[in-house]
Parts: sequence; C-alpha cells; structure tokens
Amino acid sequence: MSSDNNTHVSRRAVVTITGVGGIAGLSGCVGFGGNGDGGDGDDGGSNGGDGTDDTDGTDGGTGDSDAPETITLGQPASLSGQWDFLQPGISQATDAAVNHINEAGGPLDAELEVARRDTAVDPQEARTVATQLVENDDVAAIVGLFSSEINPLWDFLQDLSTPVITPWPGSTFLDTRGGDKGTPEDVSDDEWVWRTVVGDTVHTSGSAAFAIEEGLNTLGVINGTTEGERSYVEGFVSAYEANGGTVAERVEVELGASSYQSALSRLFEAEFDAFLMSLPQESAITALSDWSDGGYGRQPILSDTLTSQAVLDQVGSDLNGAWGATPGQSGPNYDTFEEIYTEAGDADINAWTPPAWDAVQVAALAIERAGEATPEAIQRNLGPVSRGEGTAVSTFAEGKEALANGEEITYQGAATPVNFTQHGNVFGTVSINTAQDGEFTQTSEVSAADVRSFVEEGQY
Amino acid sequence: MGLLQNIIFGVITGSYIAIAAIGFNLIYGIVNMINFAYGEYLTLGAFIGLFAATALPIPLPVAVLVAMAGGGLVSIVLARAFFTPINQTGPVPLLLTSIGLGIALRNAIRLVAGREARYYDTETTTFRFDAVPDLSVGSVDLLGGFFVTSKQLIVVASAVAVFVAIYGLLTRTDVGIAMRAMGDDESLARVRGIDTQLIRDSVWVLAGILAGLSGVLLAIQTNVSATTGFSQILQILSAAILGGAGSPYGAIVGAYLIGIVLALSTAFLPSGMSGLSSAIAFGILILVLLVKPSGIAGAEVREA
Repeated sequence: MSSDNNTHVSRRAVVTITGVGGIAGLSGCVGFGGNGDGGDGDDGGSNGGDGTDDTDGTDGGTGDSDAPETITLGQPASLSGQWDFLQPGISQATDAAVNHINEAGGPLDAELEVARRDTAVDPQEARTVATQLVENDDVAAIVGLFSSEINPLWDFLQDLSTPVITPWPGSTFLDTRGGDKGTPEDVSDDEWVWRTVVGDTVHTSGSAAFAIEEGLNTLGVINGTTEGERSYVEGFVSAYEANGGTVAERVEVELGASSYQSALSRLFEAEFDAFLMSLPQESAITALSDWSDGGYGRQPILSDTLTSQAVLDQVGSDLNGAWGATPGQSGPNYDTFEEIYTEAGDADINAWTPPAWDAVQVAALAIERAGEATPEAIQRNLGPVSRGEGTAVSTFAEGKEALANGEEITYQGAATPVNFTQHGNVFGTVSINTAQDGEFTQTSEVSAADVRSFVEEGQY
Repeated sequence: MGLLQNIIFGVITGSYIAIAAIGFNLIYGIVNMINFAYGEYLTLGAFIGLFAATALPIPLPVAVLVAMAGGGLVSIVLARAFFTPINQTGPVPLLLTSIGLGIALRNAIRLVAGREARYYDTETTTFRFDAVPDLSVGSVDLLGGFFVTSKQLIVVASAVAVFVAIYGLLTRTDVGIAMRAMGDDESLARVRGIDTQLIRDSVWVLAGILAGLSGVLLAIQTNVSATTGFSQILQILSAAILGGAGSPYGAIVGAYLIGIVLALSTAFLPSGMSGLSSAIAFGILILVLLVKPSGIAGAEVREA
C-alpha cells in the first residue's frame, strides 16, 4: 500500500510542479512583453515602479504623451575572446557617457540605458546579439561592432535598419560604405553604419607616410588571417606603396600558434628596412618573443592594437624603438571626456575609448534633435548634429540646451571633431607612439589636415 | 635560413604536440574514448603551474612537478565524476560527454581566472651555430646556420624524457604491461585477473600528468588563458589519429610529422598560401588515412 500511495503522491507532485512551472513561465512571458524593455536585468529596479502608472505597459508618461520613459542603446561587446582586453575602457566610457547624459536630463527627458551583450567578436554570435538587441531589448541604436563582425554581416545590418554607431572598426571595407550619403532626409540611399573612430585608411596612411619620412623604404609584413588584420595591412601597404615604398615580403600566419619561428624565418630571408606586424595581442606577444629570441632585428612597426603596455612588458627591451600609429586622442573636447572618464573608474584609456564616448553622445544628440527615439529618426539626424555650421557643442548637455533654443548644433567630440563624411566616417589626428624605456609614449603626430590630404575626395 | 633550421622548428612544434598526444592516445587506446576535454586538462595544468610558480612561489622546475601532479589529480577526479559512471555505454556517449565537459571547463576557467592572458616569468638564452656551411639545391638551402633557444631545448628534452619513461612504463612494469593487455582485449585482461578499473584509473592519472607537463611547456612559450589547451586540441587529435589511434608510439610519429609539415609549409608555400599550413598538415592526415586507415603505427581501434 505504501508504495501505491507514494506513486500517487509522486504523480500529483509532478503534475503540480509542472502546472506551477507553466503558470510561472507564462507569467514571465507576459511580464517580458508588458515591460517592453526586455533588457539584461540591470535596469529592473528602476523600471519596476513605472509599470503601475503605465497604461499601455510600454512607455511611461512624462507629460508628453509621445515621449518614452526610457531609451535603450544596444552595445555588442567583446566581453570575451581575443579582443576582450580592450572592452573595459569601452564599457567605462559608454557608461560614463550615459550617466553624464542622464544627469543632463536625458534625451527627450527620458532615462538613457545600455543593453550590453557579449559577441566575443564572433560574426555569428554578433548576428544573434544584434537581433536580440533589436527584437528583445528594443534598442533605438547600436553602439558597437567590430570590422570582423560588420563586414560579413553587412547585408544583414542593412536589413536590420537600425543605426550602428561604432567606435571599433578600422576596416577599409567601410571607407565607401555607411552613412547618409549627404542626404539626411532621404534614408532610401542610406547605409546604416557610422564610425566614430578614424578608419585604417586614415591612420595607416599617416603611419605609412611617417615610415617613408623616417627613411624606411622597404618593408616586410607579417599579419593574421582575420578581416581586421588583413584590412589594416592592406590599408598600410596601399598608402606605403603610393608614397614610394616597396613591400619585399609578406607572410600570413594562423592565430594561436605555439610558435611563429618558421614564419619569421621566412620573412627575414628578404631584405627590408622595417617589418609591419598586425596580429591580435596574444599571438603578437608569442611572435615578438620569437623575434626577440631569434635575434632577427630590424625596425618593428606595430599595428594600432599592439602599442600596449602588455606587449612591451612581455617582449622586453628588444622592442625599444618600435612604433605604431593609433587614432589620435586629441579631439576638440578630449579634456572634458578625460575628466569625466577618470572619475567613472580605473580602466585604461585606449584608442577606442574616446570614440566610444563620442558614439553615445552623438546618438543621444540625434535623438534629441529628432524628437523621437526610433531608428529611422536617429539615422536622419546623425548627420545634421555632427556636421555643418551649427553651434559647436562638446557634450549632450550643451547640445540639449542649444536645440531647446532652436539652434542647429555640431558636436565636437573627444577623439575627433566627429564631422561625419557622406559615408559615415570621421577624420582625426594620428598619433605615433614609440616604445622607450618600458612604455609607449607619443613621439609624433600627424595632423587631421595632413591625413585628409592622403585620402581621395569622396573615397572615405 | 634553410631546410635544417625549419626542420628544427618542426621538431620543436612536434615535441609540444607529442607529449599531449601520448596522453590523448593512452586514453583512446585503453579507456576507448576520444577525450575532447583533453585540451582543458592542458589549460588546468598551465594554471596550476602558474599558481605554484607565482603565488606560492616556488622555483619553476618544482612548479612543473606540481602542475604534473595537479594534472593527474584533476584527470582522475574528472574521470571518476563524469566518465567512469558511463564506462559501459560505449565510445559515443563518452565522446559527447567529453565535448560537454570541455565546454563547461573552458567557461568555468574563464569565469574563475578572468579574461586576460597571464605569462610565466622566464629568461631565454639563444645558441647560434652560424658556422654550418650552406648546401644549396636549387633555391633551397639544405643546411646553413641555425639557432636554438634554451626554451626549445627544454621542450625537446622533456619530450624525449617522456618517450623513455612511457617506453619503460609500458614494457618494464606490471601496470604498463597490464595497460597494453587491456588495450588489446579488455575482456581477456579481466579474465586473466587484471583489475581493469584500477588500470583505467592509472591511465587517467598518467594522461593528466602528461597534460600538466604539456600545458606548462606550452604556456611558457605562449601564455596561460582559458584557451591555452583548446587552441592545440585539433593538432593533438590529428597527431594521435595520424600516428595510429590508440598507440602512444604512433602519437609520437604523428606529432613530429605534423610539426615538421607545419614548419615546412609555412616556410616554402607560395606567399599567398603561407597561412594555410594547418590545412596542408590536415590534408596529409587525410591522405595517410585514405592509404592506411589505422594510421602510421597501424594500431587497430577496438569496436564499442
């Protein structure tokens, strides 16, 4: 008897648990839909109270019936993967910008939020994340994505029809792709990608011109096989050869190898003055350590991501004199950014940190000017708030005030002046950073005007 | 630099692969499973060694021994927890479990240890032999000057020590002979009174020790991160299969063949194809298996 009873109780328990679970699950589904926010959970507390006053379950009232209570920007992030060492600075800059904007009243008087999801810089994961950000998190714009993600997902991103304003990609692929084509009101010819960092064409041009100036007339190249590394090298080599330089040998290598000695041996068989290395940091440290152990010598030129302290610490003094060009950190309002950024945390500033700040600022200003937070409205207004003859503003607070006074504005950024070209690109200075006495220091700078002269009109 | 230098590079790469491939093949031959989580065993060994060398801190050679012991312990604990309970289900469930375990371990390591790569603090000395004369055939120099570093010599010496120790173990000790007997026919070994579970446990410990050693050597050359071992698992697997699935001696041959092919294809392929060295190595793997499906050493794979 007892066994029968046990069986009976067990079945009932299973049915009960299934029922309760089903109801809870359904409640959860209903809850997600009603909130209309679907964020990553970080903002649950702030939104929880709003729902009681919210008749339609999506946007709260702020006096203006069309004004949203919260506006979410999506950030695909490199929280893991081979570029994860760059993300802390980007996250800190983004969060600092969001806080700064909210302290100034927020776009359309709404609370600005960021939904951040990890892509590990994997294109397939990035596609999933971008879909989740748009479909689940209901973001108004995306402030992220690398070259390695954007290029293979180009058509998908156009179909997504959500502005991607990103601090990451240097790819030459984007030189003539993206932006509003100089016709902000007509979105039919638009391509939905904008970048707040100078493209590889710009800083590799500056870097290549600097190499020629230094008398480095022949070059060896070693690079990885991913889109980002190839693009960097192709940009550099194109500008280098256009300035009279010659590439003596180029070797492509797979990433994550236990040794790069065979590739280095092959490269250094050729005669050249300097060699350019473009690899992710961990592979580059292995390759540069092999270079140091093998005593190959000659002048190293490093890609932008390799002018980092970690590279110098691991490779050591053999790297003294190595230099690399990075997007300059000398936008008109860099000091404003730096002050707020350093108060927000202790992450190091890298070349992509000020552009991350600029991406959020310019997105918020576009929303404010548009008067609505829809993707298309933001797309129409990114050009007008960044270029033209309006009142120069350095922060969202200044821009909000100017727009309220009926003025047109032009945002002056931290990394660059953020004057978007017709293809959604920006020009800026290029810094030459040289390894000396255990650290990289800026030893030269190529001005934005000089850099602009390297690039054909309409081709960037 | 010529062919000789590149063959030396290949031998060094092969040595990294060989130590791990022996452990991988011991498991394949005796426990009868492909352990896709083996890369994570290397990673754990690298982290244990790094912890011993930096946090305790102890001299690097002692840290290597700690990593080997730690690797053995981790291996037997994981085997007892995840593989021993499903020993009788056959190789496919074991394989799938190992894939899942590998993913779980890799992410757990990332969660606990963080994202950034860490580095062993080592010094390297380079030995140059520039007096070796050139011997050119066409555009290829067969000899010519070459160099080796202290780090590379240690890796090759470690590999040779492992080969000798494994040979001694498998031919001169009761446990080793029992391993070989079990590899040939587990049922017959059991009938002959061999405690097969004890032998399985011994294999797990031995494979873990080798993974610990290989992980530290690899990490000294590259870095310690959640993907230290995972990034090598394809080469380890290929060496094991190329040499002869289940044969530790075959794994050695397969590892050196893959290492040398990788080095030579990087050195001599046309410029635009230099990034395809792994593809060439795997192409040779396919060719060998088409001609001799049991691998170079010819060990037969047991049926489930």
